[in-house]
Amino acid sequence: MKIPRFSRKTLCIPYAVFLLFFVIVPMCVILFYAFTDRQMHFSFSNFLRFFSDPTKLSTIVYSIVIALITTVVCLLIAYPVALILARSKLKKKFVILMLFVLPMWINFVLRVNAIREFFNLLSQAEALAWLESANIFKTIVGMVYDFLPFMVLPLYTTMLKIDDSLYEASADLGGNVFTTFFRITLPLSMPGIMSGVTMVFLPSMTNYVVSDMLGNAKVTIIGKFIYEYFGSDWHMGSMVALVLLIVVFASTLLSGGFKSEENVRGTNI
Amino acid sequence: MKQKRIISVALAGAMLLPTLATLTACGGEEVITLRVYNWEEYIDEGGEGTFIFDELHELDEEGKPVKDEQGNHIHIESNIVDDDYKAWYREAMGEDLFEEFEEGPRVLDDFCAWYERKYGQKIRVEYSTFGTNEDMYNEIVLGNEYDLLCPSDYMIMKLAAEGRLEKYDESFFDESLEENYYVRNVSPFIAEKFATNAGLEIRKDPDGEDIYWRDYAAGYMWGTTGFVYNPAALAAAGIPEEALQELGWDVFTDGRFKGKITAKDNVRDTYFAALGVAYQDELMELDRSADDYIPRLTAIFNATDNDTIGEVEPTLMAIKDNIYSFETDTGKSDMVNGKIWLNYAWSGDAVYALDLAESGKSEDGEDEATAYLNYFVPEAGSNLFFDGWVMPKGANKQAAEAFVNFMSMPQNAMRNSYYIGYTSVIAGEIPEEDDADPAMLTYADYLYGEEEDEGEFYDLSYFFGAEDGTYGIFADEEQCTKRQLFAQFPTPEVIARSAVMDYYDEEASVRINELWSRVKAESLELWTIVVIVVAVAAIVGGVLLLKFGNKIDFFRSKPKKGYKKVKEERA
Repeated sequence: MKIPRFSRKTLCIPYAVFLLFFVIVPMCVILFYAFTDRQMHFSFSNFLRFFSDPTKLSTIVYSIVIALITTVVCLLIAYPVALILARSKLKKKFVILMLFVLPMWINFVLRVNAIREFFNLLSQAEALAWLESANIFKTIVGMVYDFLPFMVLPLYTTMLKIDDSLYEASADLGGNVFTTFFRITLPLSMPGIMSGVTMVFLPSMTNYVVSDMLGNAKVTIIGKFIYEYFGSDWHMGSMVALVLLIVVFASTLLSGGFKSEENVRGTNI
Repeated sequence: MKQKRIISVALAGAMLLPTLATLTACGGEEVITLRVYNWEEYIDEGGEGTFIFDELHELDEEGKPVKDEQGNHIHIESNIVDDDYKAWYREAMGEDLFEEFEEGPRVLDDFCAWYERKYGQKIRVEYSTFGTNEDMYNEIVLGNEYDLLCPSDYMIMKLAAEGRLEKYDESFFDESLEENYYVRNVSPFIAEKFATNAGLEIRKDPDGEDIYWRDYAAGYMWGTTGFVYNPAALAAAGIPEEALQELGWDVFTDGRFKGKITAKDNVRDTYFAALGVAYQDELMELDRSADDYIPRLTAIFNATDNDTIGEVEPTLMAIKDNIYSFETDTGKSDMVNGKIWLNYAWSGDAVYALDLAESGKSEDGEDEATAYLNYFVPEAGSNLFFDGWVMPKGANKQAAEAFVNFMSMPQNAMRNSYYIGYTSVIAGEIPEEDDADPAMLTYADYLYGEEEDEGEFYDLSYFFGAEDGTYGIFADEEQCTKRQLFAQFPTPEVIARSAVMDYYDEEASVRINELWSRVKAESLELWTIVVIVVAVAAIVGGVLLLKFGNKIDFFRSKPKKGYKKVKEERA
């Protein structure tokens, strides 16, 4: 009996199977549903309906805006923290880092619920009563809270890799703080920013658990749309999912997610 | 090499072990499996908080069992779980399960024991749950196989119209057979609704036959929709309770309740409510004594034509603007902790919220300063719903019908109803003589009854199919008009003005979904979209700029002429 030779390629089989059944096949199913009507005939009607419906377009735009704000806020909070942590000589800085990462270890729904209760508590104070109906604000706070670790971690790891001698060189050559930041820190941390942005921007377009629980289900992002369509109309739901997929693909392409070799190493200068 | 193969075989074997374990558990005998697909938390699950446990243990004010010094529960006698009840249980489930009787057995375990004793056949229940009718429908369409489902009225109709259901056997309706607990115990009121579809347009199944619920479904629970409200909070805001009844559906759009009322986060219930708001005047003007009152009421609450949608859309927008949230299950706790004043709710959930508020606890057991809550149903008419057991095509009909019959034993109906807060369709056998009470009347009396001289007579005769004044209980006045009793066993007046939901056909479904997405989504003005698109384009441009930073670099002086050449030469 011929025994198949075991090679390194064999190790790829589980992943290939996984890829086939959980990525490629579902994708084809979505494609199929998106371009068929209820009688399972090929049809462009979902496509046309999607792009002629201001509601769906504005929901996409709206989701992008919410995701953008979330990303920017995350970046604004995470960048200084990562920078300080990476540059500090603190012996126990992993503790501070841990504080940022710790929430990730707690169940996500639990955390969102906790934040909901927290807002409830705050809004009982008269000065903060406006929080009750500040659905968009609460949604964004929830998203930022949820995705902050995904921003901090890549930033921190890229910044750690920046060679100290570069800063020394900059100082030697008379660069002030400003110049040093813009010519050394920022360009060298670009890969971290890119991967952080991707990791925050994309999920915050679809994470409707946050918008439902903190936005009182009055904030509707594209993920919720897909969920609701799958209750009754799989074809339209698939079309919305497909459009989202394209938006995601485009933004990943844009942030260089597909040719990350040089970026990840942080050596593109 | 050989070793590797041995290891892989061993691993594969280890993976298969669990399957073997289930097989051996059958002990070689044939075991049939009954696949039941029910709502979440819609059946007695045993243990503390169940009917039997609570009745046989001393409880404190919060409903938790009291423990004596040794840490044991204190057993007490009960008037309803009495010797007859125990004897019934012992007879039906056998000695083994009876030993654990006082600890609150699971109704599903009981079914397996009962079935084996009765039919001499081992059975296993594969029980799974769903959250919405639509989720369940998707599962069925995807080809998941079950023996028994528990959809609501409109979904029963949809499944039947698509030819996905088995009819109940004729023998299931034979009242002379002892094991037909369902037909022998079901409320005549419910049976009548199931035989006539409660005023809905009669649909056809794929064979062109008229669809009646009765043929396809056996009832399980039923109820109304209405509003849970917080009278203390309303009083503090200067709104008397009576004002609610006058406002009816308009509470959804009344500015005084802005941010203090919730709607359901699903299109079916909220569209229904919006119809109530939009057509309240018309609904009030209908002649209630007319023969066609119920069909006309039902038609208004099930209208899906373009004109109606056009009229309801602004109403839905106004509702969205006025409410605190669209919720699926946060409404109960928000009511209890006083954040909202009004919550559009199903009657069973209302009972749950009322009980919770009374116990002074929130859902997670924290102390909450709460007032009593009440329940009201709009005068203009509301929703009457039924959840019923249906058998999908290919179901094991014999076992499924046995399951329905088992759940329809009044003793079991009490257990389920007590556990989940909804109202069972079971009435109990109507005795020949008037001096005995049907089982479920005894149950209602046990829950809400007062001494004759302390309460008002609450007439439930309609539910037992008897003339007015025959069956009823004496209860506290508030219970009769706005509290748990009123929510759980609505008055005939409420029933008389309630409409059942129909299912949307395909075209209507598309229209309603589009409407719902317009309501839920943020509709941006064209100029906003343009501004945002431009902004996004600017960001994209910025990113591109940064990516090609080598070519356009603001911070680096341009390379001297010739540098490029040198570089190329080197390369």
